[in-house]
Amino acid sequence: MSRLRLFYRLILRPLHREPLRTFLVVLAVALGVAVVLALELAGDAAAGSFRSSIETLTGDADLEVTAIGGVPDEVIGKLATLPYSITVRPRIEDYAVVKATGQTVPLVGLDLIAEHPENLNLDRQNSAKADEIADTANQGVWISQRLGAKAGDKIRLQINDQTNEYLVRGVLKDSGDSGGLVLMDIATAQRALHRLGRVDRVLLKVPSTPSLEEWEQRLRAVLPAGVELRREGSQTDENRRMLSAFRWNLRILSYVALVVGAFLIFNTISVSVVRRRPEIGIVRALGASRSDVLTAFLGEAACFGFIGGLLGILSGRLLASGAVGLLGATVDNLYVSSRPAPIELTPGTILFGLAIGVGMSLASAASPAREASLVAPIEAMARGEREYAARVHKVRDLWIAVVLAVFGAAASLAPAIAGKPFFGYASALLMIAACAFAIPALVSGLTAVSSQLLRRIAGVEAFLASRSLAASLRRTSVLVGALATAIAMTTSVGIMVGSFRQTVQVWMDNQLTADLFLRPAGDPAVDRHPTIDPSLADKIALLPGVAGVDRFRGYEISYQGLPASLGSADTVGAHDLEKIQFLSGRRTSVVNAELRSGANAVVSEPFANKHHVRAGDVITLPLGAAQVPFRVVDIFYDYGSEKGFIVVDRSIMLRYVPDPAPSNLAVYVATGSSVDQVRAEVEKIASGHNLMIFTNRNLRTEAIRIFDRTFAITYALEVVAVTVAIIGIAGALLALVIDRRRELGLLRFLGAAVSQIRKLILVEAGLIGLLANLAGLALGIVLSLLLIFVINKQSFGWTIQFHWPIAVLLSALTLVYVATVLAGFYPARVAARLDPIEVVHEE
Amino acid sequence: MGLIEPQTGFPPLGTAKDVTGFLRLDNVTKTYVSDGQPVQALCGVSLAVRDGEFIALVGRSGCGKSTLLNLAGAMDFPTSGRVLLDGVSTSDVNENGLTRLRREKVGFIFQSFQLLNTLTVLENVELPLLLAGESDACDRAQQQLDLVELGDLGSRMPHQLSGGQMQRVAIARAMVHSPKLLLADEPTGNLDTVTGNVILEGLRRIADEGKTAILMATHSSESAAFTDAIVKMRDGRIQEVVRP
Repeated sequence: MSRLRLFYRLILRPLHREPLRTFLVVLAVALGVAVVLALELAGDAAAGSFRSSIETLTGDADLEVTAIGGVPDEVIGKLATLPYSITVRPRIEDYAVVKATGQTVPLVGLDLIAEHPENLNLDRQNSAKADEIADTANQGVWISQRLGAKAGDKIRLQINDQTNEYLVRGVLKDSGDSGGLVLMDIATAQRALHRLGRVDRVLLKVPSTPSLEEWEQRLRAVLPAGVELRREGSQTDENRRMLSAFRWNLRILSYVALVVGAFLIFNTISVSVVRRRPEIGIVRALGASRSDVLTAFLGEAACFGFIGGLLGILSGRLLASGAVGLLGATVDNLYVSSRPAPIELTPGTILFGLAIGVGMSLASAASPAREASLVAPIEAMARGEREYAARVHKVRDLWIAVVLAVFGAAASLAPAIAGKPFFGYASALLMIAACAFAIPALVSGLTAVSSQLLRRIAGVEAFLASRSLAASLRRTSVLVGALATAIAMTTSVGIMVGSFRQTVQVWMDNQLTADLFLRPAGDPAVDRHPTIDPSLADKIALLPGVAGVDRFRGYEISYQGLPASLGSADTVGAHDLEKIQFLSGRRTSVVNAELRSGANAVVSEPFANKHHVRAGDVITLPLGAAQVPFRVVDIFYDYGSEKGFIVVDRSIMLRYVPDPAPSNLAVYVATGSSVDQVRAEVEKIASGHNLMIFTNRNLRTEAIRIFDRTFAITYALEVVAVTVAIIGIAGALLALVIDRRRELGLLRFLGAAVSQIRKLILVEAGLIGLLANLAGLALGIVLSLLLIFVINKQSFGWTIQFHWPIAVLLSALTLVYVATVLAGFYPARVAARLDPIEVVHEE
Repeated sequence: MGLIEPQTGFPPLGTAKDVTGFLRLDNVTKTYVSDGQPVQALCGVSLAVRDGEFIALVGRSGCGKSTLLNLAGAMDFPTSGRVLLDGVSTSDVNENGLTRLRREKVGFIFQSFQLLNTLTVLENVELPLLLAGESDACDRAQQQLDLVELGDLGSRMPHQLSGGQMQRVAIARAMVHSPKLLLADEPTGNLDTVTGNVILEGLRRIADEGKTAILMATHSSESAAFTDAIVKMRDGRIQEVVRP
């Protein structure tokens, strides 16, 4: 108890004297914790607690049967007639667009005659009676409460490229996280989707004995080769695995804000130790042990961490609500249609928030606290030792920086582990550490060579500011390091995203050569492939002014335990016009000829990287009744899907999956013909179909819009990291003013005007900003190379061409610089208001 | 020595108005508020200092010596009465005007030297000139260092000097802009007797040149022996004036 009292008197009570500075430090910790927690919570909701939006009304099935292009009805019949007591539940799974709202919702078709009404979660007061369901199955739909209609209403639904009116027969209770659902009888769904004779999935419930493995063996034995049997929920697990790299990268980005916060805690405790050297000496002389001193300063840091952590948890929860939308959109755009779970602030999450707040604070305070514990009492009580003169070994530190950078460079050459670029992250961390160790030499060197120049350019205030920064080398280095880390993050992500954007634009210039693109209306999603009436392509091809029409059909498949996309494309005629870029550099026409010649495939670069596939390898795909081996003839650049594409020739695909409906059409306008006229003709022919028609330019604009939305979260993270750093700069400058009040007062005695004192502090802020910009830019370029060529490549498999987004970089650096100077305004005001008599004579 | 008006028990030696000089205090009172209570630091002090005079302010801690120096150096304003610097009342001048007065006509020396550890010796001496925007700062600073016999140490940092050397640097800095008034607050307080005497001899020489008046606060009556007059202060009032 007495120790607590002492801790309060000697450590906590002094903080009251500087409430603003204390608040700023706590705020910096809180923001760091808030960002990490927000992304953790939002990530859990959008991706971590991932559930595909189609995973509804699945009951308690044990196994599922799937096949590319659908499971034939015969397979269902075979399963149902097996001499085992298993429940067989075939399903149709797709999406429908509610025309009234434009909302895309999952469409599930179940065998309502066989389905037990209890499984459907019906709102009984607003639905047909259970015994009527079977009778009315063919005539209507059941919709979730969220869609707002009631039994007896009519609802217009677009399914694939057709819109029809359906009678609402009943309402399903929402399960809380549901984004809406349309339920049909399976036969109605098959008709609506033109999927007669096939279902998308068959769920199986098997008896508890024998074991599930045994059941898998038994059932596999009766299934055709192209039909897959796996545990129910496997797809969810696959999706979760697929999303893990995405989450890891976001998580690492969010930790940058924590690193910046750690710099600031380090600075705060260092300043606290220096200021209290005489007090440390006195309490040591009065009987305090080294460990008492160590504990006291660690306790101070823990208080910052605890309070910052609490505030961070609250603000993190708020931020998560906004972040989940952004993350959900990214998951939808790049990976799979998802249904974010509710954000849950569990006791575990609260503990996690407190742990990172307190842990980060303790870790960053360890070194200065240890330094405090080593203070000799006599030395500490001596007068004139209060300057911030903590030891800095800049030459030794520079050597450490070189060694760290070499290790960092070596780590960047190491391969990914389990698809995650752990060595890439380690390399980035080592480079940040190398930069931090190099900064004292940078600050010292630059201020030494520039102080006289600064005096000539900006006057004596700049000269004094430069000398003061060099004299407080450790403190200056920590501040510059914190801001440089934030700037490096901004710069590196800016360069990476800018390079990626430019690469995608160049790729689209080469790849998207058709003049018009058609797909069924509704929200685009990477894992949805609604289809178009197969006859439409032929009709469009016959229109005057049309040089050719390419058809593309997409399927979602599972390959080696990860989701992937399988596509079939026309490789004759107009398709030759496309300039697909292959890693081999071969011409498209040559590769197309190989695709047409047999069971050959091309794969996208992300697919090849993810599954370690090279040209010449053979991949086996379950198609129809067979496992079909395809030889990979080449690998193409692709930036449309992270999970990766396998593309085969359309005619070859139709041999195995005889469904001619394409999901996309690309129309080439003949030379000399008007695109607008052709579009008008296409619109006329397609008037009975709900299609979206994009011109080449529209499609590119739309792609870039989605691209920008995808990276919105990274920009938000950058803003937070820079904000944390700026808050830190403001707090540290305030501390600097307080610690140097004697010097500032003395300058007044020597004839300095108030405006000169103000200018001195602002110039210091500006110099810190300038040094941080220099270090941050250099580090940022190194980190951007790591992001582009190591982390991104190993996480997602994309080849990004390095590009300098000059305008973005310049505006970001200018913004940070201006913000740093602005952060100096309040400390400058405090400095200008110091009473020189008081501050000089108190010494 | 000009005129000193003791407040109680001592006959006046003249009137302040009779004296011409750079500094004059007319019936100056200074009251501070501390913890809500008024504290009178100076009470009805009148004092005038002629050019070239070297005056010691002697008295116990808290008797008002430093307050008087601050008022004399235009660092603070009197509560009542007037402080005239070069004939101008400091209460009638704005902040910029006071700054200009200090830059051009007042120099300060402190007990703990108050050199900036971040600057070299020469740069410390240059500082007042640089703050005033003077162009030939370096040459003039070097001349001043030569005068205090530290011309060879200009590139050293303050912590590389002895206490006496540091105080001589401080004197050079205070004199670099040729002030008419040098205010010294316990300039030998941190020095041994021999070194302290060297400093006092230096100040004596400055006063003897006749251009700069010196007002020195000190505890030491030995130090006061170097001056033209000793003003003994007690409880914010001038108690006695003694000519050594």
